Amino acid sequence: MATRSNPIQDQVAIVGVGSAPYSRDSHRSLLDLGLEAAVNAIRDSNVDRNQIDGICGAGLGLGMMVTHGAGVLSLQGALGIPSLSWTMNGWLGSHLVYAANAVYSGACDYCLIVQAEHRISAWSKAANQDPFRLRDSRFGVHSTVPNVHYSEGWIHGAESYAAFANRYMHDYGAPREAFGMFAVNNRQWASQNPAAVKRTPFTMDEYLNARMIREPLGLLDMDLPVDGAEALVITSKERAKDLRPDPVFLHAMSLGQAPVAEFYENANWGHQAPWKAFQHMWARSEVRVEDVDLWYPYDGYTPISLAMTEAAGFAPHGEGWRMVQDSWNPDEQKLALLGRTRVHTGGGSLSHGRVGGTNYYTEAVHQLRGKAGEGRQVKGAKTALFGIGSFFHDPTAMLFRVD
Amino acid sequence: MGATNPMGGTSFSDQEVFDAFPDVHLTYDNIEHFRGLLQHRLVFNRCAECGFWIYPLRPMCPQCWSRQVHATEVSGDGVLYYQTTLYEGRHIPGFEYPHLTGGVELTEQKGLRYLAPIVGVTGEEVVEDTPVQLVWLDTTAGPVAGFTPRAGE
Repeated sequence: MATRSNPIQDQVAIVGVGSAPYSRDSHRSLLDLGLEAAVNAIRDSNVDRNQIDGICGAGLGLGMMVTHGAGVLSLQGALGIPSLSWTMNGWLGSHLVYAANAVYSGACDYCLIVQAEHRISAWSKAANQDPFRLRDSRFGVHSTVPNVHYSEGWIHGAESYAAFANRYMHDYGAPREAFGMFAVNNRQWASQNPAAVKRTPFTMDEYLNARMIREPLGLLDMDLPVDGAEALVITSKERAKDLRPDPVFLHAMSLGQAPVAEFYENANWGHQAPWKAFQHMWARSEVRVEDVDLWYPYDGYTPISLAMTEAAGFAPHGEGWRMVQDSWNPDEQKLALLGRTRVHTGGGSLSHGRVGGTNYYTEAVHQLRGKAGEGRQVKGAKTALFGIGSFFHDPTAMLFRVD
Repeated sequence: MGATNPMGGTSFSDQEVFDAFPDVHLTYDNIEHFRGLLQHRLVFNRCAECGFWIYPLRPMCPQCWSRQVHATEVSGDGVLYYQTTLYEGRHIPGFEYPHLTGGVELTEQKGLRYLAPIVGVTGEEVVEDTPVQLVWLDTTAGPVAGFTPRAGE
């Protein structure tokens, strides 16, 4: 039961989604990928481009000043959009929250959101052999992190997630399989998603035997760096009705934050930002977690998926690993949380590809429209829940709903 | 570099600290910590009014909002709150793979954690909550505060 008012509830809708193809090596610029996704999303929305008056572009590294990427300064001119009343850049799931509030407040009426990603040199040894990727890394197109002292070394790295996974296993007795079930589940769904980069299913044994990178996280616990892009068009509920018969409504959202150390070491499991995000989001909704059809927990590293799953309320903290094991369908090699909720129907960042979680939003829109395609469409899906982001900063709790 | 000061040990000017840590974002709020590393003293900002240890290094006490914040040395004792053995990844100046790293919760305050290399032991030999003590490591990237299982425990 909602405990506080939520004026924005179901007042903003997604009317357009678009993607650019995912690949390990596209030979295309971030802007090129972002433009393809943007054009597809605008066409899908039936909005005339001259009506677009808000853009949230991709990138945080240099804020508004991102150039030679898919930031708003590059996108607007490249798309030939004459006039904007609201602009911003963002990343992960939070850009949709910024944009939704801009539409609800009247700062803009039709807002385009673009997320484009490259397999950057910081994430891929092979990318360090590519002059285009190396040159990009010098210009803040991505939110690159400079060299730091050892004591600050966990910023934007996998190390902290690995250490938290060890602490979780130590405190609660969880086995690695609890993380692995997310990895196996996501790949199984990706095998039914033609847009996914990795589509060959693997077994739990193959997961456990994959190359160890950071104990206890192996190669299959970490997301897949790719070149790709996604875009969304949102508008008000009233305008949406004139554009499409099947708008997807933003029901409740929160950018929860806990008081974290900058270097990622102080908050304890169960008290980090994801738990704050969902506490605030559920306070704004009458929907219950038991009613959720589709669940998209961030899977940059598998322990984040488990943390998000606990934070969303599928299980108390420390007990998610048992719930996940109880929710495993060995015949399907997929999860059905609490006996029903489907997880990462598109394959997630682990197998579809890492585009910062914006692909979760577009996949869910396809599902809620009933158009996800043979094999992976979840029949009758009406609600989609998201936990997109980090243990540590701006995780987005978001709930989509259709009538 | 450095000059002997009358209190014992060696003092370092701001410029010497900047020169010693060219890749660290030094500010007025954190420079005493890094000056301490050069002196092999592990110091954190501490509130002189309520005694709260402040890390990350801030100019104001987050508990009582006092501005009476002074860099203060810790004992160097703690427990290994969490750890991971790294087999590959981004370059860690001064260290090689495989590498055991962890967050040490210092004895002075619950939640006062410092990221450090864990030495003298492998990841298979150590578990969470093991008591550890400070050990200074002089690396090619300058002095780093490391930790090792506490003697006799």
